[in-house]
Amino acid sequence: MNCFTNLLKIISCAAVVLCALSISSQLYAQDMTADEIINTMTETMNPDQSQGRMKMTIMTTSGQERTFEYETFSKNQGEKSLMKYVKPTRVKDQAILMLNNADDIWVYFPRTKRVRKLATHAKKQKVEGSDFSYEDMGASNTFIDEYDAVRHNDEKKEGRQCYKIELTRKSESSASYSRIVMWVDKEYMVPLVIGYYHEDDPKLWEKQLVCSDIQLIDGIYTPMKFVMYNKLDNTHTSMEIIEVTYKVELPDNLFTEQGMQQ
Amino acid sequence: MKHLKLGSCPDLSFWIIIYRKIVDPAKRENLPLGTWFLELGICILVLGACSFSIAQVDIYGYFEPQFSGMYYDSAFYQVNYNKLRIDLKSTAVKNIEFGANVIYLLYFGKKDWDILDFLPEHIVSTIPSEMYPYYQLTFKDTLFLDNAYARVNIRRLALTVGKQQISMGTGYFSNPTDILNTKDALDPTYEQPGHNAIRLNLYIGNRMNLMGLYTPIASDWENSGKLVRAKIGISHFDFSVSGHEYQHTSTNFYTFQQTQERRMLIGADFVGELLGLGVWGEGIYNFIEDEDDDFYEFIVGTDYTFESGLYGMLEYHRNSLGKSDYTEYNLNDWMRFFTGETKTISQDQVYGFIQYPLTDLINIGGSIIVCVSDKSVAFVPTINYSLFENVDLMLMGNFYVGDEGKTFSSSLGNGGFFRTTVYF
Repeated sequence: MNCFTNLLKIISCAAVVLCALSISSQLYAQDMTADEIINTMTETMNPDQSQGRMKMTIMTTSGQERTFEYETFSKNQGEKSLMKYVKPTRVKDQAILMLNNADDIWVYFPRTKRVRKLATHAKKQKVEGSDFSYEDMGASNTFIDEYDAVRHNDEKKEGRQCYKIELTRKSESSASYSRIVMWVDKEYMVPLVIGYYHEDDPKLWEKQLVCSDIQLIDGIYTPMKFVMYNKLDNTHTSMEIIEVTYKVELPDNLFTEQGMQQ
Repeated sequence: MKHLKLGSCPDLSFWIIIYRKIVDPAKRENLPLGTWFLELGICILVLGACSFSIAQVDIYGYFEPQFSGMYYDSAFYQVNYNKLRIDLKSTAVKNIEFGANVIYLLYFGKKDWDILDFLPEHIVSTIPSEMYPYYQLTFKDTLFLDNAYARVNIRRLALTVGKQQISMGTGYFSNPTDILNTKDALDPTYEQPGHNAIRLNLYIGNRMNLMGLYTPIASDWENSGKLVRAKIGISHFDFSVSGHEYQHTSTNFYTFQQTQERRMLIGADFVGELLGLGVWGEGIYNFIEDEDDDFYEFIVGTDYTFESGLYGMLEYHRNSLGKSDYTEYNLNDWMRFFTGETKTISQDQVYGFIQYPLTDLINIGGSIIVCVSDKSVAFVPTINYSLFENVDLMLMGNFYVGDEGKTFSSSLGNGGFFRTTVYF
């Protein structure tokens, strides 16, 4: 009997503690500033190291589908990243290395065995004709470094409670979008929807990224599917994570010319 | 001019291969024993790797029919080819990569050409008539091993042995520091042929590497090519310096006699960003042993991508071996230009390139090549269409504006090609 009473006490205490933690967490979350939300989201979206395989499907203006598969590697919270195409054969072994949060980009062309360094302006270019630019793919800290964040009233998006954050490009920044509006899932702290606005016209809606199928991978909430809608060209590109792990130890020399060519 | 002569096909590298290895088989036979041994050894290695683990060998490649045509002297000519390239790649053995590719080229259309038809009359008149047959060029069907190499990666060290592609320099239309390849300015991104070499890369840190390259082009060590190159990344720039000692073969095209000379090249290149523009440059100074004909060559370039997706590039190229007065171009100048012995016939060139994504599957654009020295211009419009996931179409034209005897003389005719590439 005593044992049962003690067990009840322990469960009751635990419930109280959990409840208190939950309330304090919600209170804390409600008090989070725009910068804190962006920082937490950026941390969630950019784990220390990751290795995965992704599938990118481009829906072209003519209604054709183009599918690419590539391996991805990233380190230092996304500060370094490497993409290696696996399919289709046309781009097999082509690799894109991005260092310093995509401020430095190199592309390796296996057919000519040539490595070409791209300047910052090339970040605006589409990756393999998709609706993702190099900047969309590579820069992990863009939201923090290049924009000023403002928090608006919370909204429901995709059926989930979200923080609504508006980012305005800093005057000294050369980022490709003048304004970004995003909805960050309150529970998972990952973006569910991101609206990108034109470089020169903050009212011109250029692209929209929708993230879905959030799964807990190695203790980190991960959207497994991304769809980028190009509002100007009326095209869209989807990306699916086929497999990913965050429990890896990637060598530094993977993120070099040597790594691109291996 | 050389492009027109060769049926307006821009892939000069293949014409050079054909010239050196097929049309002039004597040169092929004279290749040093070491070179053949190297090729054979690597073949055995690659085939060996394939046989013990066929399941771990990637087999891929492409089929590429190309139709080229040109209007010349009020007539239409065409020279076409079907090209099949098969690549093998295996990483079955840990840290070792075996790679090889075979190219099969089948020509059809006008396969026999007379180079003299495209040379200015005042140059043809200097050639003895009994020598005329030597200026015939025939495109013969050919099957050859383009690359066959083994690459060993041990930590930050990579050793590549065999016939391999070697690319150097930051220039787009031309690479002065790369004496192994000659780019065709009309189609500069086309693949280059493999070279027999032993290459050692040492990657120090994340953005620094050293390369040593030995190319056994002669029968002994002394006369073979030796290159060292150091590359370092600083901020948003990559810099490299290189030294290359090699044997250069010059042909006297009046007599078809060849002479060898030792050359020492000191070169440097950079690529980076300035004021939002991509910038790059590369240059060399070439010392020629026992002669006072040292020469230099450099190229500088810049590019930018506009918000609309329009991409633009501009390059300036100077080759002090080229001539500033086109009336001084002689037979040797033209023929050395054709065969890749020299990179340009004129001294100063300006290259421009633009590309615009018309749709997500179609890119339109083109190049303009201005020979500043002789005031002739080539316009090269291009359309690229991604027909299917593994099928690319390319349409390229070439239109020359210049007086007779200049690099891009309108009297040389105009043309273009249609190329389909089917990857498998």
